[in-house]
Amino acid sequence: MAITADHIRDKLIKELGAVHVDVEDTSPNRCAASYKVLVVSSQFEGKQLLQRHRMVNTCLTEELKEIHAFEQKTLTPEQWEKQKSQ
Amino acid sequence: QRGCDVRATPETLREKVDRLDGANAPELTKKVQRLAVTGSPAGSAGSGTTDLNQRPVMLFMKGNKEGAKCGFSRQTLEILNNTGVDYDTFDILQDEEVRQGLKTYSNWPTYPQLYVKGELIGGLDIIKELMESGDLVSTLMGEERDQDATAHAQIS
Repeated sequence: MAITADHIRDKLIKELGAVHVDVEDTSPNRCAASYKVLVVSSQFEGKQLLQRHRMVNTCLTEELKEIHAFEQKTLTPEQWEKQKSQ
Repeated sequence: QRGCDVRATPETLREKVDRLDGANAPELTKKVQRLAVTGSPAGSAGSGTTDLNQRPVMLFMKGNKEGAKCGFSRQTLEILNNTGVDYDTFDILQDEEVRQGLKTYSNWPTYPQLYVKGELIGGLDIIKELMESGDLVSTLMGEERDQDATAHAQIS
């Protein structure tokens, strides 16, 4: 499977109903394939950080096997709006 | 979470882990669990004087406090050091068994991994968010965390 930023973005949108996804390929900063993602989804509402991150991990289980380093930020639509206005 | 070391296990390692999945899987699980809770892999052999020597806060990382071997692990050390809360570390680079076993046990693909009282808190990303929301110290102290992240956002 070819892991690309688009592939990751599409999967997150499809499986987590994300309303906004930022995928940054941070490989140049690391020694191997690395990504940093921001996922905004109402499915995160009421869930603790660990739960949210696990949802993303589960969504990207196959991809994570190939990736060396991974960073993620998970927000609900409300948190995202708030962050944008800051 | 923020962390590295997600890549697939090399063949030889997979064999080792697979063999452990057979007869020794319970042993590995016990060892890993004991590490997460107490910071020591040893069984409770002997008199149990020091007993479990509970180390409530355990960081599984690459390297140790004297020197982190990964940017994410290094950042985690800095943040934890700034809280002033006592914690122990385990260098997963020194023990391949634990390095892979812990990922399976916690179902978490990356390092560093922070545990409080034997419970996975998460990686650097989560630690950073806890710090920003002001919940890090109470989490490290094992106090009840906010059950609802969105409620916290609404209150503040």
